[in-house]
Amino acid sequence: MLQVESVDVRFGGVQALADVSLCVDSGSLVGLIGPNGAGKTTLFNVITGLEMPARGRVVLDGRDVTRLPPHRRARLGLGRTFQRIEVFSSLSVRDNVLAAAEARRSWGHDEPDPARTATDVLERVGLADLAGERVDGLSTGLLRLVEVARALASRPSLLLLDEPGSGLDGTESEALGTLLLDLVSDGVAILLVEHDVELVMRVCQQLHVLDFGRVIASGTPSQVRQNAAVQAAYLGADAGVVHA
Amino acid sequence: MTTFLALTLVGLVVGCIYALTACGLVVTYTTSGVFNFAHGAIGMVAAFTYWQLSVGWGLPVWLSLLLVLLVMAPLMGALVERVLVRPLYGAPIGVTLVVTLGLLISLIGLANLAWPPTTTRVLPKFFAGRTVTLASLVVSYNEILVIVTAALVAVTLRSFFTRTRTGIAMRAVVDDQELAALAGTNPQRVAQLSWALGATLAALAGVLLAPLVTLDILGLTLLVINGYAAAMVGRLRHLPATVSGALALGLLDSWLIGYAPGGVVNVLKPALPMFLLFGAVLFLKQERLRAGSLAGVRMPRTPSFRRSVGSAAAFVVAAWVVSGQLSAANLATGGQGLVLAFIMLSLVLLSGYGGQVSLCQLTFVGLGAFAMGKIGGGSPLGLLGAIALPAATGALIALTVVRLRGLYLALATLAFAQAMDVIFFSRALGYGGNLEVARPSLPGIDLGNDRTYFVLLAVVFAVGAVGVLALRRRAFGRRLVALNDSPAACATMGVSVATTKLIVLTASAGLAGLGGALFGGLHGSVSPNDFVLLNSLLLLLLATLGGLYTVSGAFLAAMFYALFPVLQNRYPGLGQVSYLLTGLGALSLGRNRYGMGGQLADLGERLRAWRLPAGQQAEVLHAAG
Repeated sequence: MLQVESVDVRFGGVQALADVSLCVDSGSLVGLIGPNGAGKTTLFNVITGLEMPARGRVVLDGRDVTRLPPHRRARLGLGRTFQRIEVFSSLSVRDNVLAAAEARRSWGHDEPDPARTATDVLERVGLADLAGERVDGLSTGLLRLVEVARALASRPSLLLLDEPGSGLDGTESEALGTLLLDLVSDGVAILLVEHDVELVMRVCQQLHVLDFGRVIASGTPSQVRQNAAVQAAYLGADAGVVHA
Repeated sequence: MTTFLALTLVGLVVGCIYALTACGLVVTYTTSGVFNFAHGAIGMVAAFTYWQLSVGWGLPVWLSLLLVLLVMAPLMGALVERVLVRPLYGAPIGVTLVVTLGLLISLIGLANLAWPPTTTRVLPKFFAGRTVTLASLVVSYNEILVIVTAALVAVTLRSFFTRTRTGIAMRAVVDDQELAALAGTNPQRVAQLSWALGATLAALAGVLLAPLVTLDILGLTLLVINGYAAAMVGRLRHLPATVSGALALGLLDSWLIGYAPGGVVNVLKPALPMFLLFGAVLFLKQERLRAGSLAGVRMPRTPSFRRSVGSAAAFVVAAWVVSGQLSAANLATGGQGLVLAFIMLSLVLLSGYGGQVSLCQLTFVGLGAFAMGKIGGGSPLGLLGAIALPAATGALIALTVVRLRGLYLALATLAFAQAMDVIFFSRALGYGGNLEVARPSLPGIDLGNDRTYFVLLAVVFAVGAVGVLALRRRAFGRRLVALNDSPAACATMGVSVATTKLIVLTASAGLAGLGGALFGGLHGSVSPNDFVLLNSLLLLLLATLGGLYTVSGAFLAAMFYALFPVLQNRYPGLGQVSYLLTGLGALSLGRNRYGMGGQLADLGERLRAWRLPAGQQAEVLHAAG
C-alpha cells in the first residue's frame, strides 16, 4: 500500500529525517511512536506531499508519488489529520465534513450524495449531535474527531492520523480505538502517530519507533516494548510512557 | 559612447535610489512578516518634510537632513511597528495588507492637507550646479552623492548584519522567530528596530529622489512599485539580489529612454516594473503549503436562500419607491452607489470568502467598461465582452501567481493596475478624453430613463447579492472558505489550491467587468481617472471597513464611497479628510476584522436571540461570541 524508502529531510543544519524506510500494508494498522521532535509529523508531511524529501521515495500502491503535489496524492486515496489542528474554523462541524465529501465528488466518480456521506461519517465518529455547531467553540479532543471525520469523508484507503487521541478522555479514547479497529476491518490501512501508549499497544499490529529522525526499532508492540534502544530513547524525555 | 555613459550614469543613480527603498522593504518584511505597502508613502512624507524644513522654513540643509533621516524617520518606523504592526503578527495577509494600505491612504490624505497640491514645490539638487568632468562625461555632485550614499549604505548594512550583535539577532529572527526568542533575543525589539531602519531607508530614498523628479504626492508614493519589483528579484529576502534587481531596473529604464523610439518608450517605460515583477514571480518556486493555519476568522452566518430572496425583493421595491423622490443629481449618486455595491460583491467573493487580495479590481471594471464601449451599442455581445475580457485578464494574472502566497497576488495586481493606468486607459479611452459607453438594452423597457436605470441597477445588485450568497452556501462556497481557513488541509483532501484560486479570481474579475459595463452606462462615458490604482485601493479599504464577509457590508461601503465626491464638491476641504478617515478606519481593522457588516450581523444574531426562550438564547449568544 505505502512504501517510504530511504527518506532524508534537512532543515538547514538539522537532519529531520535520516534514511527512514517503512511500509504499511493494505488493511493494516501501523503505529509510529517516538519522543517529541523525533520527526513523526515531518514524515507525515513527506508522505502527503507537504514536504519534499532531499532524498528517497514515497510509493503509493506501487506508484512513485514523490514528485506529486498533495492534492494529487489525496486523490489516490491518501487521507490525513494534523497534529496542530487544521479544521476549517469558519465552517460548522457538518460543513467541515461535507466540504471533504464534496471535494471527493469533484474528482472521484463514486460519491453520488456528499450530504449523505457527511451524515454517515459524523454518525460513525460520534459527532452527529454536534453537526450544526461552529467548530471554533469545540474542545481540542472534539476538533481532532472533526479532523478524523473530515478525512474519512474523502474515503481514503490509507489514513495517516497524527495524535488523534490527545485531548480525549478515557472513554473517548477507547471509542477511538474501536473506531480504528473498525476501519481496519473495512480494509482501510492506517498509520498512527500517538502518545497514548495504551491505545497504541491495543490497536497496532506493528510499530516503528523514530528518534532524532531515524527509525531505531520496528516490530510488534511487545517486541518494541522490550527493545533496549527504545527504552534509552524514552528515558530522558518520557520514561514513564514505555512502562505504562 | 558619451551618450551611453551618460544614460548609464542616470540609470545607475536611479537604480541606487530604488535599491535603497527596496532594501528597506526587505529588512522590514523579513523581520516582521508584514509587507509594508506604505513604504513609499513614508518616503514621500520624508521628502515633503525635508522640503518644508529646508525650503519652507529655510533651515540649513544638513540640519534638515539630520532631522528627517535620524529623528523623524526612525521614530515613525518604530511607532508604526509598535502601534500598527505588532497586533498583526500571525494575521492573515488580507488584514496586514489592509492595515498598511490604510497607513498609505492616511499618509496621502495627511500630506494633501499639509502640502496642498495647488502650490508647486521644487527641491534643489544637492550641491546644485557643481559638476566634475570624468573622461568627457559631466557628472554632477548630486549624482556622486547618490551613488556614494547607496554604496555606503550597502557596506554598512552588510557589516551590520554580519558583524554586530543586533544585526545577527535580526537575521536570527528572520530564520526562526521562536528559536531566536529562546536564545535570548527579543523578536519584538528586533522587529521594531528593523522598522525604524526600514523607514530610514525609505526616507533616504525619498529625499534623494525628490530633487530628480517633481515633488508630487502620488508620484513619489507610487514610485515605490519599482522598489517592490526589485525586492521581488531578491525573493523578498536576499539583499544582494534585491540591489541587483534595483540597478537593473534603473539602467533598463534609462537605456530605454535613450535608445528606444518615442512610441515604444511611452508604452514600455511605465510597464517596466510590472514586467520585472511578473518576470521575477515566474521564476519563484512553488511554495509548499504550510500546516499551522492562522487564527480563524469567524464569519457571520449566511442567510438562507428564502431569506435572501425576500430581502432582495424588499430592497428592489424600496429602491423603486425611493427613486421616485430623488432629484436627477441624487439619482446619479445613488446609482453610482448601487454600481459600486455590485462591484464590491466581486470583492466579497474574492477576498471575503476566498481570502485572496486583488488591488486592481477597478482595472477589471475599466476593462469591462472598455469592452462594452468598443463592442458596444448596449448589445448582449457587449455585455458578454465586458465579462469575458476582464475574466480572461484575471485568469492570466492568476496563472502566474496562484502557486504563491497571497502577498504575491496583491503585489502583482498592484503593479498591473499601475501599469494599466499609464499604458492602457490613458490611450484606450481616448487621449485624456472619454469613451462613450451605451446602456444595455432590454426589449420594451426604456433604460435611457434615469429612474428606470436606477431601478435596474438595484435589481442587478439584488440578483448579484442573492447569487453570491447562494454560491457561499453551495459546495464551491464551502471550498473557498475552507481554502481560506487551511490550504494545507484542503490540499490533503484532494482540492487543487491553485485551480480553486484561479477560478475565483476569474469569476471575480468577470463580475467586476460586468459592473464596469453598468458603470459606463450610468454615466454615459468613462475616463481614465475612473479606474486609477488609488481608487482601487480605496475601494478595497472601504469594502473591508464595511465588512467583506457580508453583502450588507458591501452595500454600506459602496454608498459611503459614492457620497465621497458629493461631499467633496459641497465642502472642498472634506475630500482629504475622508481619505484620512478611511485610512484611519482601515488601521482599526487590525483589532476588529469584521467591519461594519460583521457588527450588524452580530447585532442581528443577538436580536434574534432575544426572541428565543432562555435556553436557546444562551446557545445562540454563545455561538455569536
